[in-house]
Amino acid sequence: MKTAIYAVIRKDFKSVTDNRQLFLPILLVPVILIVIIPTIFVLTIYFVPEEMGDLETLLSMLPESAGNAGIQHTILRVILNNLLPVFFLIIPIMTSSVMAASSFVGEKEKYTLETLLYCPLSLGQIFYAKIMASFLMSMLVSLLSFAAMILVMETEIAVMFGSIILPSLSWPVLLLLLSPSVSLIAITLIVRGSAKAQSMEESQQKAVFLILPLMLLIVGQFAGILLVSVWLLLVLSAICAFAAWILIRGCRNRFTCESLLQ
Amino acid sequence: MRSVIMNRITKIYPGGNRAVSRLSLSLNQGEVFGFLGPNGAGKTTTVKLLTGMLSPSDGNCEVMGIDPSKEPEKVHALSGVVTEHARMYDHLTGMENLIFYGSLFGLGKEEARQRAENLLKRLALNEAENQRLSAYSTGMRQRLSLARALLHRPRVLFLDEPTSGLDPESAQNVNRLIRDLAVKENVTIFLCTHQLRYAQEICTRYGLIEEGRLLAAGTLDELRRSVSPRITVRVKAAGISSDLISLLHLRKSEREDREAAGSREICLETEVSSEKEIPDLVRRIVSGGGDIYHVSACLPSLEDIYFTLTAGKEVRS
Repeated sequence: MKTAIYAVIRKDFKSVTDNRQLFLPILLVPVILIVIIPTIFVLTIYFVPEEMGDLETLLSMLPESAGNAGIQHTILRVILNNLLPVFFLIIPIMTSSVMAASSFVGEKEKYTLETLLYCPLSLGQIFYAKIMASFLMSMLVSLLSFAAMILVMETEIAVMFGSIILPSLSWPVLLLLLSPSVSLIAITLIVRGSAKAQSMEESQQKAVFLILPLMLLIVGQFAGILLVSVWLLLVLSAICAFAAWILIRGCRNRFTCESLLQ
Repeated sequence: MRSVIMNRITKIYPGGNRAVSRLSLSLNQGEVFGFLGPNGAGKTTTVKLLTGMLSPSDGNCEVMGIDPSKEPEKVHALSGVVTEHARMYDHLTGMENLIFYGSLFGLGKEEARQRAENLLKRLALNEAENQRLSAYSTGMRQRLSLARALLHRPRVLFLDEPTSGLDPESAQNVNRLIRDLAVKENVTIFLCTHQLRYAQEICTRYGLIEEGRLLAAGTLDELRRSVSPRITVRVKAAGISSDLISLLHLRKSEREDREAAGSREICLETEVSSEKEIPDLVRRIVSGGGDIYHVSACLPSLEDIYFTLTAGKEVRS
């Protein structure tokens, strides 16, 4: 039965990579968030080094260790370790939403779900395979995006400022705990709505509820109210993991073939 | 052995629509059962009940001894389903689709490829096997669905309008395949259609359904006996006196009267209770001075039986 589950996962991956409309946002959003935006930040700091009047307030809020290095390095460190993690979270949310919507509602929309239900897989196994496909895609895109971001940003910093800035401990917490939890929440929100949703666009709208708290976090970074730290990310990861567990638990039993095909 | 059993099965959809009402039927292994009725009669709902896609509101059913509402995946392993709403992936080629579904049914990649090649050849799709499904016509998709349903050598095949969208040659090809499956491989076929003439060509037994209720079930002979035991005899003749016409209870045939218009021949018809009465009828016409050009015995077709049962009309023939 494992072969059948792997086959569904492989097919779901191919469904997204073969579809330009779906694959483009998965490719473009990370490029904008982790290549273009950081590059703009790095270039701004490089070309406007003396304009720091407005930044004094922010720098004074940072931990003392952050302020010991030069101003430019301090700002770059703030961008890499405080600002970009929040932007980065959009990637797993977007990828898992697109993938889950295509995998569940997209199949329903294209009348291929019924054919899948006629196969000797239980509804639970089909759900498991599809959730795994969305989750794995989200993790793959997140990890590749992180690798690309570090490569691009460190190269730019090394070339422009002659040294590199190491990512803080927040990043492993984000990549290995918060990102998977947030992905699972996005997937389960879409799966739960899949029986009623009639189109992929309709189901993707559910992900907006996850983007909203993220926007608050971004505002928090700029305003200096709630700065990203390992502890904050750990707490958020624990809350999201618990929410994901609750959502997944109730997910499978909500559905029957009949409710899915309505 | 009974491969499909339905026992007073009822399906009422949320909202109160009673799609199937107290339906009882059983199918023998290896028979081609035609489940006939107009659109909205409850045929597709019955297929969905038998494949576990829907749960019955009342009653129960079995496919190869398994209750589909309790263990649908076991029923799916033994059965193949072709319905209008069970489509395949447009971004994959015909062959890739079949290999994918083969893997879901536990076939290895090479085994699935060989089986798929064989089926595609039988369904005249081998030249399109590497084309993406998005380039397939409706008829090609329909035939590919049939290939998909046959990949795992099912014991029972549920076909919902399998020849809709097919050209006559493809339809004939599919009919031959269905007949072969039943005769050579002992596969039970549950065939839903509203095309009664098509069903009469291929099925060995029939069930007629309307508004969710089973009107009648049986072989063609059994159905004929149930609606009209009499045989209509049509005679094309000339030189028959009106006295002889009334003596033999002959009446002018509306159907063929038009064909004979302008000639001296007339088309007449009467009803007899058995074919044994026909020679005597012919003898009496000839001895009465009539010239006979054509005699035929007409049994009610499936269409006639269906209209009689649904509308309460007299058998048309």
